[in-house]
Amino acid sequence: MSTRNMILIILTVIALALLSDAVFTVKETERAVVLRFGALEQVDIEPGLHFKIPFADQVKIFDGRVLTLDSESQRYFTAEMKPLNVDAYVKWQVSNVPLYYQAAAGDEFNARQRLEERVKTGLRNQISRRDMYQVVSGERDEIMRVLTDELATVMNEEFGVDVLDVRIKRIELPSDVSNSVYQRMNAEREVLAREHRARGREMAQGIRADADRRATVIRAEAEKTADQIRGEGDARAAAIYAEAYERDAEFYEFTRSLAAYRNAFSSKDDMMVLDPSSDFFKYLTNQQGGGGR
Amino acid sequence: MAWNEPGGGKNDDPWGGGGRGGNQGPPDLDEAFRKLQNQLSSIFGGKRGPGGGGGGGSMLSARLVAIVAGLALVAYFLGGFYQLDEQERGVIFRFGELQEQVAMPGLRWRPLGIDEVTPVNTTRVRSEAHQALMLTEDQNIVDVSLTVQYVVADPKQFVVNVRSPEESLKQATESALRHTVGGSTMDDVIGQGRAAMAADVQGRLQEYLEYYGTGINVLTVNLDRGAPPREVEAAFDDVQKAREDEERFVNEANAYAEQVVPEARGDAQRVLQGANAYRDQIVARSEGEADRFKLLLAEYSQAKEVTRDRLYIDAVESVMTSSSKVLMDVEGGNQMIYLPLDRMGTGRAPNPQALNGSPDMVRDIADAVIREIESRADTSTRRPR
Repeated sequence: MSTRNMILIILTVIALALLSDAVFTVKETERAVVLRFGALEQVDIEPGLHFKIPFADQVKIFDGRVLTLDSESQRYFTAEMKPLNVDAYVKWQVSNVPLYYQAAAGDEFNARQRLEERVKTGLRNQISRRDMYQVVSGERDEIMRVLTDELATVMNEEFGVDVLDVRIKRIELPSDVSNSVYQRMNAEREVLAREHRARGREMAQGIRADADRRATVIRAEAEKTADQIRGEGDARAAAIYAEAYERDAEFYEFTRSLAAYRNAFSSKDDMMVLDPSSDFFKYLTNQQGGGGR
Repeated sequence: MAWNEPGGGKNDDPWGGGGRGGNQGPPDLDEAFRKLQNQLSSIFGGKRGPGGGGGGGSMLSARLVAIVAGLALVAYFLGGFYQLDEQERGVIFRFGELQEQVAMPGLRWRPLGIDEVTPVNTTRVRSEAHQALMLTEDQNIVDVSLTVQYVVADPKQFVVNVRSPEESLKQATESALRHTVGGSTMDDVIGQGRAAMAADVQGRLQEYLEYYGTGINVLTVNLDRGAPPREVEAAFDDVQKAREDEERFVNEANAYAEQVVPEARGDAQRVLQGANAYRDQIVARSEGEADRFKLLLAEYSQAKEVTRDRLYIDAVESVMTSSSKVLMDVEGGNQMIYLPLDRMGTGRAPNPQALNGSPDMVRDIADAVIREIESRADTSTRRPR
């Protein structure tokens, strides 16, 4: 019967519709609230299969995982008025679901915006109180810790959001400042290079001078010893001569003079004007060897 | 736009137009349902004819239902099979709720629509590389490259806790790296400090990732490269060259020293040898001469007069022979004698043979003399008388 069919179909369809709207699942990664006629009815629903009153109840689902806000790079000034470009990320999570729904209407975008603002303000405060060394190295940890604590408190109260971590990513110098840093680095390297070379030259000079000195000393010592040796030789020769010639000094004088005469008059250029009365010529004018004056 | 517009025959009401009665035409849905039913029954051999739109048409054959239901079940069962690779583990969600058990590799089955399985590769080593310029503790800028190798250790955490866990790793890496470099000096980064820094980065990174609950395990962190930025590379290279130059200067000086000192020693040796030679020579000579004298003396002592005469006459003879002499007997009074010693003293005796022997020389001399006479005659005639 058509009517029966129709009724059956209608009933089935209605049943199906009701059934599908009475059942919902919450994934492990999600958080959900159930609103009955717009008002919060159930909060903090466990993951799994759940039932609700069809049509009257509405389910709002949020991402319950740890989410990341990547804050964009922004210029801040240190205590010494030096500019730095800093960016950071925030790890946050929905913790108080009903509060989150109320504050953000379940729209992640709102929560992000608020986080972003507060992060930037927080960074500005922290950085302006410190000098560059503290920001980059000395108190980097502390800055992040303070920011995390501050943000955690505020976001918890206002948005029901847990801020797990605020981490600074980049701290960079603006490009014109970078250039002056490069110039400084270059200058420092230049000085270092010059030092090395100067030191090398200095040492080399020292080594060479020392070598020259040692060479001179060696030569001088040798000369001294040589003179001594020569002196020794001369002395010994003199002794030998003396020992021999002293045996008959007169005879020595005689023979030595004769040798001297030979050597002195050895060439035809030597002109001698002689008196025939000298002893050599004694037989020249007189057979018996008389003559002379 | 309402489903039922007043006064119109519109019939979009999904509930089949309840309340209008069958006479306004049967709902299309009913018609379609009946047609389907008939077709099914004709396939399965139902005894109803095509005209059985009456009471029989609204009765569903129990057998048909059973068969359809059976088929659906089989399809459902078959559709539940899935496969997990050896490297993978399956994270199971039952109605969205995380299950304690993790699916192991192989052929698995899950009930469709109830269980959802997310496969996660837990053994493949993943890698993340990062390169950038960054500030150091001493406010210098360095160029750093880093590689992180990691693996998913806990697949459940990996899927459930954090949205985009690998993206989180990337950002955390950057933060940890810049933090560590920011706490190191440039010399550390460029020189030998990189290994320690890599360990530091790894420690930090692992800490952050665990705190966020990413389920990622960092295997290694490698700081491949820490170099001066391109803009200052040349200056840094020059420092290296300068170090090498420094060494080279010293080496060259040492080489010089190695050469000069032995040279000096060599010279010293030579000088000493020369002195020794002199000494030996002079002593030998003196000994020789002394011996010679002593021998002569011995002879002389045997016959003094005779030896003396002999020596004397020999010597004077030699002297006389070698030199030019003039014997002057000026015994009787003061005669003035002219002695042209300069012309007499030459070793060469005038030899007329020599002149005759060279007629050319004579001719040349004659020519020169004639010329001289003529020039004198000229000058004398020029003079006005």
